[in-house]
Amino acid sequence: MFEYALSVMIFLPILAGLTLFLFPFSGGASRITGFIVSIVVLFLGVELFLGFSGTTGAMEYAESKAWIESLGIRYSLGVDGISLLVLMAGAILFPMVFTVFSTRTKGFYANLLITQGAMIGAICATDMVLFYIFWEIMLLPIFFMIGIYGGPNRLPATLKITLYTISGSLLMLAGIVYVGVAYHNQFGAWTFDIVELSKLQLSGGSAVLAFFMFMIAFAIKIPLFPFHTWLPDAYTEAPSSTTFVLSAIMAKIGVYGVIRFVVPVFELELARFAILLAFAGVIGMMYCGLAAIAQKDMKRMLAFSSASHMGIIALGVFCMNVQALTGCLFQIAAHATSTGVLFLFIGLMEERMQTRNIADFGGIAYQAPIFATFFAIAMLASVGLPGTSGFIGEFLIILGAIKFSGFIGFLAGTSLIIGVCYMLWMFQRVFFEKPNERTENFKDLTISEALTFLPVILLILAMGIFPQPFIKKIEPTAQLHIAESSIIIAKNQLADTTFPIALDTHQKN
Amino acid sequence: MNDFLALLPLLIICSGAILLMLLAAFEKSRLETATYLSMGFFAVAFFVQLLVGCGPATAVFAGVFNGMLVASTFTQAAGLIILACGFFTAMTTHSYFKVNLFCTLEFYAIMMFGACGMLLLTLSQELITSFIALEIMSLAIYVLVGYDRSNIKAAEAILKYLMLGAFAGAFFTMGTALIYGGVKSTKFVEIGAFCAANSATAPLIIGGTFFIFVALLFKAAAFPFHAWVIDVYDGASTPVTGFMATALKTAIFTVFANFLAQNSGLHGSWVTFLFYISVLTMFGGNLIAIGQNNLKRMLAASGIVHSGYLLIALVAISTEHFTGSVIAYYLAAYAAGTLGMFAALAYLGGEGEKRCTFDDFKGLAKVRPYSAAAITAFLLSMAGIPPTAGFMGKFYVITSAISADQMALAVLGIVSSILSMWYYLRLVINMYFHQAEENFETQGSVFATACTFILVFCVFAIGIYPIVI
Repeated sequence: MFEYALSVMIFLPILAGLTLFLFPFSGGASRITGFIVSIVVLFLGVELFLGFSGTTGAMEYAESKAWIESLGIRYSLGVDGISLLVLMAGAILFPMVFTVFSTRTKGFYANLLITQGAMIGAICATDMVLFYIFWEIMLLPIFFMIGIYGGPNRLPATLKITLYTISGSLLMLAGIVYVGVAYHNQFGAWTFDIVELSKLQLSGGSAVLAFFMFMIAFAIKIPLFPFHTWLPDAYTEAPSSTTFVLSAIMAKIGVYGVIRFVVPVFELELARFAILLAFAGVIGMMYCGLAAIAQKDMKRMLAFSSASHMGIIALGVFCMNVQALTGCLFQIAAHATSTGVLFLFIGLMEERMQTRNIADFGGIAYQAPIFATFFAIAMLASVGLPGTSGFIGEFLIILGAIKFSGFIGFLAGTSLIIGVCYMLWMFQRVFFEKPNERTENFKDLTISEALTFLPVILLILAMGIFPQPFIKKIEPTAQLHIAESSIIIAKNQLADTTFPIALDTHQKN
Repeated sequence: MNDFLALLPLLIICSGAILLMLLAAFEKSRLETATYLSMGFFAVAFFVQLLVGCGPATAVFAGVFNGMLVASTFTQAAGLIILACGFFTAMTTHSYFKVNLFCTLEFYAIMMFGACGMLLLTLSQELITSFIALEIMSLAIYVLVGYDRSNIKAAEAILKYLMLGAFAGAFFTMGTALIYGGVKSTKFVEIGAFCAANSATAPLIIGGTFFIFVALLFKAAAFPFHAWVIDVYDGASTPVTGFMATALKTAIFTVFANFLAQNSGLHGSWVTFLFYISVLTMFGGNLIAIGQNNLKRMLAASGIVHSGYLLIALVAISTEHFTGSVIAYYLAAYAAGTLGMFAALAYLGGEGEKRCTFDDFKGLAKVRPYSAAAITAFLLSMAGIPPTAGFMGKFYVITSAISADQMALAVLGIVSSILSMWYYLRLVINMYFHQAEENFETQGSVFATACTFILVFCVFAIGIYPIVI
């Protein structure tokens, strides 16, 4: 039965979403359908996680069928240590969206389901073209969700995110085709399979161009400084559940894409430009963190905070060593849980108070102690307090960053303090201080809401206290991944290249 | 036997056209019957065309026609696209002419004559035959464009198209004459042999090829001969525009590809020229399309952009192993999306095409969600978003360009499709993100909806159909 588990996880939500579109369902019925489908996916995801051995670092649960044979394009799926935790984030967190908000219509739930299916498809695809197809499909529902159900300024926000991401991904398409053609020229056969493509030896101007095409697409999705400008608007205007999807899962697929597709194919180019990209990550961290301090709107603040954290996650990839990569993969899951839950909490607060201004709140902790506790745990995980999930990942990344370059590690470490500043300051203003007449009637979480969030809160704590079961599953793949790349990098002593940046990274390694 | 089979679709359409002409002359038929008849002829011809089993290239009745007509898998595919376009256009007219009452029986006869010319054009491997086929096709299209005599826009359109088209025809004959002067033959194969033996840079060959390119680029709406397209597409009635945009373009690009593929010397020496033409066509088309408020004008301009993508495929064709599959695939994908758009516009446009701008379609999704979803699918296909046919078409075009070492062209093609996202998304935004201002009542028949939904199916079905590059 588990042979086709991945296909079921991809196509069950997509088919359910399409069915909702095509036939007249009521909003409530669609919500229940969506909930059931997401529970099934959750169940499959948990089974998959438990059954995942992770000792060899190879693809598990692989499926492969020929599709367009003349170009070697296959319908091939698989999970390894790199995709496992991202996949878990995509599979486990979704049911929450269907239980907490009740006001949406059928079209919204249909879009939500299609996004989930497409995202799982993008995470599991091991063929570049298949990945690209899912990558594009997952954007379309987001376009409609923000455009139809978003806030007052939704139109410019929708256009911004759509045009931004589509430009990136179309460039990536050219990059994908280039890689396929290069493989055909070197080995005389067509394939877009990522394992095969990692054998490629690319060099020259076209390779650098293709590398940047890939990197721009992923940098926009992550978002990496300076491609982050769509994010505050899109996150703020989108409905809370869409923001949750964007921040918790979709941004992670950007990082995942870099690890999965850029690291094995373009290891030389990545090594050459790593220091530049690492700086982009650190600058993004600092800049978005500082911007978050200044925000008056809670959701916008969290949007900047999310962008800031994505900076450190991306940094984890560019350091190109086992610690940083493991930390990055772990942090992907940790950040998905903490930030995702925080966005949902803000959605709840907005639903109850009709406002998101930090100044309008105050004293919620006295009215809603359970809510405040949950919020505090998620928030502390987000800032990386030891004992929560956020600590392990960030610690490993900083460790790797120091190994990569002491200066970058120092900058990244100090930037984390900014995160603590804005989060705690916000928490103080919203949950403590004096209650005003609006917050006096703030209701605590209902039992169903509390039960929805409890598993995720427990997961945050579990990942912080017992990280080993998770790290055990991802580390072998991370080691394998780094080992393969560093052999190639070592083979091609970069010292003879004319690019000055290359000299720089080489010395630092 | 197979030779006859290769010609049979052409003969079926031709006899259908003559039959309809006779029925019209003796006033023996109602308009609806004529619609059904032409649909029937197109459908039968389509299935006959499917049966033609031809290999790479076989001369049709080599003894009789002396190799002037050649059938191949490529021409078969092009013929299928043209016949399908004819079928869907006839289906679209069914409801269109219920509210726009200017149609007479001859309309269908002329449309089928036009299709004859297109089919002949796909088969022709010789310049004079191409010219005759080109003129059969063009004359029919001129009449169709100006069919609504009471409409001043149609009159403007036909005048422009006729005058400029006549020039293009003259250029084509001039080019033929010059090439004949140089090569002493007008057959594509002999021109290729001459260029291989001597050189493609003889003045007569250069001049002749240039004039022929001018004519073909004019018909294909490529830069710098694209200015007429906007007015003509806008002035013609919606089903005719759809037919022109798809079937005519298919025929022209087929003969263009056949001409270049037979002739590696010529292709080699004109590749840079075609490179710039293709880039300018894409960007020129985009610049025009971005500024349009009228949907038909936007679609006309987007047709120019798609001609640019097809020119990329022409630049990248391999003269040694010519299959034409990329071009045929792209044409099929483009035809499905474009015909679908025009089919939807034809029945949503209402009486006298009163709904024709972006603003007129505000809030369509609230009132007619299925129509809006169909239009979205067509637009996504034209924009090249997976999982539609347009995406795979673009993917193949880019792959063939990069395989032919044209990385720059591929990147420019991508940049152009990024630009085109704006005007495709604009309609989607208008349909979905605004409140409806009217109730979009239509008097369409069941055919209009059926046609739209078959085409939606095609958009996705073509997308998963694999081809060999």
